[in-house]
Amino acid sequence: MLVHNEIQNDYGADRMKAIRLCCLCLCILALSLTMSSMAHAQAAAPAAAPAAPPPLSAADAELKDAAGKAPSTADLQKGDPGGTITGTINDVPPADSKVGVTLPDTANQVGQNKIAINFVWTLVTGFLVMFMQAGFAMVESGLCRVKNANHTYMMNFLVYGCGLLAYWLIGFAIQMGGAAGNGNLGGLQPLTPEHSMTVFGKAWGIFGGAGMFLSGHSYDVGVMVIFLFEMVFMDTALTIVTGACAERWKFITFSISSVLMGAFTYPLFGNWAWGAGWLSQLGTNVGLGKGYCDFAGSGVVHAVGGITALAVTLIIGPRIGKFNRDGSPNAIIGHDISAVLIGCFILAFGWFGFNPGSTLGASANGNLRIGSIAVNTMLAGCTGTFGAILYMWGFKGKPDASMSGNGLLAGLVAITAPSGFVSTVGAAIIGLVAGVLVCLSVAFIENVMKVDDPVGAISVHGTCGLWGVLSVGLLADGTSNYGGSWNGVNGSVTGLFYGDVSQLAAQLVGISTLLGFVFTFSFLLNLVLEVIVGQRVSAETEIAGLDIPEMGQLGYPEFVFREESDLFTRAPRDFAVA
Amino acid sequence: MAANTGQGRNFAVFLVGLTVACVGVASFSSGMGKLLLLVGAVILIASLVGFLKLRPLEGKPAQRLSSTGAKLAGAFVAAFGWVLTLFGMHLVDSVSGRMIFALIGIAVSLFGIVYILPSAFNKNAIWKA
Repeated sequence: MLVHNEIQNDYGADRMKAIRLCCLCLCILALSLTMSSMAHAQAAAPAAAPAAPPPLSAADAELKDAAGKAPSTADLQKGDPGGTITGTINDVPPADSKVGVTLPDTANQVGQNKIAINFVWTLVTGFLVMFMQAGFAMVESGLCRVKNANHTYMMNFLVYGCGLLAYWLIGFAIQMGGAAGNGNLGGLQPLTPEHSMTVFGKAWGIFGGAGMFLSGHSYDVGVMVIFLFEMVFMDTALTIVTGACAERWKFITFSISSVLMGAFTYPLFGNWAWGAGWLSQLGTNVGLGKGYCDFAGSGVVHAVGGITALAVTLIIGPRIGKFNRDGSPNAIIGHDISAVLIGCFILAFGWFGFNPGSTLGASANGNLRIGSIAVNTMLAGCTGTFGAILYMWGFKGKPDASMSGNGLLAGLVAITAPSGFVSTVGAAIIGLVAGVLVCLSVAFIENVMKVDDPVGAISVHGTCGLWGVLSVGLLADGTSNYGGSWNGVNGSVTGLFYGDVSQLAAQLVGISTLLGFVFTFSFLLNLVLEVIVGQRVSAETEIAGLDIPEMGQLGYPEFVFREESDLFTRAPRDFAVA
Repeated sequence: MAANTGQGRNFAVFLVGLTVACVGVASFSSGMGKLLLLVGAVILIASLVGFLKLRPLEGKPAQRLSSTGAKLAGAFVAAFGWVLTLFGMHLVDSVSGRMIFALIGIAVSLFGIVYILPSAFNKNAIWKA
């Protein structure tokens, strides 16, 4: 019992202790709850009297009203065959879904739409230019003999890869790696600054540096767009050379030469004209017009390609049988005129990417001039064709098909630089002159210079490219307005016939640079390759045709070859082939 | 011997050398960049030496040797025309003066390209044989 009582006493004491502890905890809990509710009441005090929502601006009210009137999901589910209810304010993403679409949201969307339109425009026109490679392949191969068809096609095929690789490695950085802003594509700020040299107190851009491998800061959506567009232009220049050197150029030397041209030759001149280089600064630095103006590349693309073609063709020499001992030329007829003419049409189609695409946008900054540019392109191609056909028909007796094709291309090449600056009348004149010029140039290069150019690339792209550059200085009509200035000089590009003689001077400096720098640079580069690798295939290979020795298979294995004239299978005495 | 395995391998080496050299240029500010540029240059030179060794194995092209001096003279005259244009821009201030210098420069360059160089290459041309 005692034990029991003791136990009971102990139990009672413990129970009392627990009760006290519970009371203490409850007090603390009550106290903390009271304090918490007081604090909460203090914090919530302002909320108790909520401020009136800021008044909607008139614009925001209209936006809300438009959102209210926009077609409902139920309406859209019925379909929209007329296209009248698709694309409304409901498609504008608001920054805050609770607030709804506001004026800043709308403005941001408008800005992004402008850039998006320009991105899509530039990319699609770039894709068109890329397709020109197919046209070049058909024209060049069609104008070569069947025994060299595979080799010529393969040169046109590989030049794309060689050029793209070289341009991605370093070419793009040299050309555009100092180009600075371009409002059409969202700024392009990562591409800056240009490496300059100070001469006679003025800073002149020499080459860019940003953008190698498209990595680092240049990993940017706008930079990607400009890279794609500039890359396909560069590749067009490279593929011009393959035509002039066809039927005797060693495949390995062609490959190396193309890589070097895509890495250095083209990008250097491209920088000077388009990448904030010194030619574009002729206006700001020495007051020559708006600086050197080349809207889509008569000089940068075509003359660079044509002049490099001349340099390599001089080194490589004429094909066996091209010239007689007295120096008179023999016509070496191509194997497929249908391929030539279809190729010309593909090129003319691609030119709608080349010229209108060079606005780098379809929205804002005067870019609606793309309509005029496209029509100028068509017209110059048309009058170029007429120029060549009428010249050949009138003076040689037949409307020669290959020269007609070259006339079309000559007109297109010539209008490339001025397409954004001239009227339709100017474009027609430029094309017509080019069509006649290409015929005269082909004859001069063959008969006077004794240079063998199987496809007429030097004349089409070199001569007519230079004419295109010159024509800007003559026929630019001063009506274009791409954001109010060109090359940093306010106003519109205006030629001699419309009152600005200084623009012609700037164009002449550009032509001098093409002839003096681009030619010499290309010539020396390829002369080194001639010493180290050798430019030309052996006489034996040339006579057999390059398809089997160089490529390992014929272009047309099931064709039965017609016996060639002895003229083209007889090696000169010193190079007798068994 | 036309296209062959040696050419293909040397071209691959050339592309690798160019790529490595470009990586070196892109990261030139770092020590590794300078090293890569050097390595790339060595690989490039190795590929060119490879090409040089292959050259005698190939047949003789239908070309004859002609004076390298005359070729270089033609190239020099072409380049000189350009230099003339450039200096002309700074020697005179008037637009017409600059235009005249540019025209003279173009004429000089064309003389080198259209006259001197073809003459140099055609002096021993194969078609004269």
